[in-house]
Amino acid sequence: MLNNDKIRLMTKLALYESKTGKEDIRLSKYYKPDYVRYQVIKSIISATIGYALILALIMLYKSEYLIKNAVKLDYKTIGLYLLGFYIIIVAIYGLSSIVIYSRKYDISRKKLGRYYKLLKRLEKMYGDETTDSKV
Amino acid sequence: MMSLLVFREQVKNFYHRYDIYIIPVVKFLFALVTIVTINKEIGYDARLKSLPVILALSLLCAFTPSAVMVLVAALLVLIHIFFISPIISAIVLVFLMIIYFLYARFTPNLGYIILAIPILYYLKIPYTIPLLLGIISTPVAIVPTACGVLVYYVFQVINSAISVQVNKSVDDILQLYTNIIDSVIGNKQMVMSIVIFALMLIVVYYVRRMRVDYAFEIAIGAGALTSILGFLISDLILDKAEQILAMILGTIVSAFIVFIVQFFQLTLDYSGVEHVQFEDDVYYYYVKAIPKMTVTTPQMKVKHINVKNAVRGMSKFDNRHNNDHIDIDYDIDLDNDDDN
Repeated sequence: MLNNDKIRLMTKLALYESKTGKEDIRLSKYYKPDYVRYQVIKSIISATIGYALILALIMLYKSEYLIKNAVKLDYKTIGLYLLGFYIIIVAIYGLSSIVIYSRKYDISRKKLGRYYKLLKRLEKMYGDETTDSKV
Repeated sequence: MMSLLVFREQVKNFYHRYDIYIIPVVKFLFALVTIVTINKEIGYDARLKSLPVILALSLLCAFTPSAVMVLVAALLVLIHIFFISPIISAIVLVFLMIIYFLYARFTPNLGYIILAIPILYYLKIPYTIPLLLGIISTPVAIVPTACGVLVYYVFQVINSAISVQVNKSVDDILQLYTNIIDSVIGNKQMVMSIVIFALMLIVVYYVRRMRVDYAFEIAIGAGALTSILGFLISDLILDKAEQILAMILGTIVSAFIVFIVQFFQLTLDYSGVEHVQFEDDVYYYYVKAIPKMTVTTPQMKVKHINVKNAVRGMSKFDNRHNNDHIDIDYDIDLDNDDDN
């Protein structure tokens, strides 16, 4: 016999699983600090690559000047400036990814909690069905 | 008005029922317009301009996520530029990679904006995007809008650079590169456009959130006005008076398009009919879940004709909503009686 309540529940669960749930279930494999740290590392790496590319473009742009003054340049000051900018960019990206990804994790946890509640209800339904059939 | 509302319901019903077919068709058309525009503007490689290639790429975009369309467009542009000058294509690649690593990686959903703005620029209606994003998004969308404008102007500069450049010695290429950067940095029109687009987006966003009737329509109007005034000032400052007419027409067309989108509430995150499959011990289930529609009631307008009679008729009933009106109306009546 078709059990309409069960179908409704399963449809809800399947819809969630096929859409936002995919991401939520993936996230649930991490502990929160691990997940946030992983994402922060990823965004710092990508910020580093972006910064390096921008730097390369600027160096190419100024290449004539750089080559002409290769001996006279104050490399220490330039290096400090570059390092300073790099630290600022990394700090911005790191801090904002801490905030954004911990919020994302919390939200997905909340949704996942609701999902587990429904799953439990489904499990109970199964239990009821099997006891019914035994009787 | 009523027939328009009915028409809207019909369209929405149609969309609900057939969205599984409509979405790929719409995506196919968008991809087609994108690819044809790219081919028209920087189509140096004739192989990519053949009809089968265009159709195959559009078809690919129709059935894949929207990120694929952005990727296809980027690759297309790179191949076209590579055909004429490998060095410049490397620069473009670096430029696109910077956008990806510093921004687009974090908001994959907004990637299509960066693609849409240059395309709409070539179609002369880039004003659609800030208006639309003000309606459906938040001021955060200023960043991808700015990226889109940047991409457009960079490609324009590169396009003109390519048409000049023929020599291929290292010095020439370095010179060419410096020229490109110089003209991108010194492009006041680009900066102005970014600022005006940001302003439009903010104006539309805040006006549409005001608690007044027709907030959305007023917001679109206000955004269009901001655009016309802003670009009028910028065109006059930059001495480009010949663009003004096209700008005003483009803004009006954009506002009209956004108005239609808003009217049908076809926002981009719209979810229609869902198909899911699952199984239990006994059955396989193929379920089609259709969202219940809550429509027209919020938009229903009750027009009072001959208010007084209606109020008197209703005063028999305990109609809480109208209590205030009834009191006021009776006061007025009494006043009138006194006068008489």
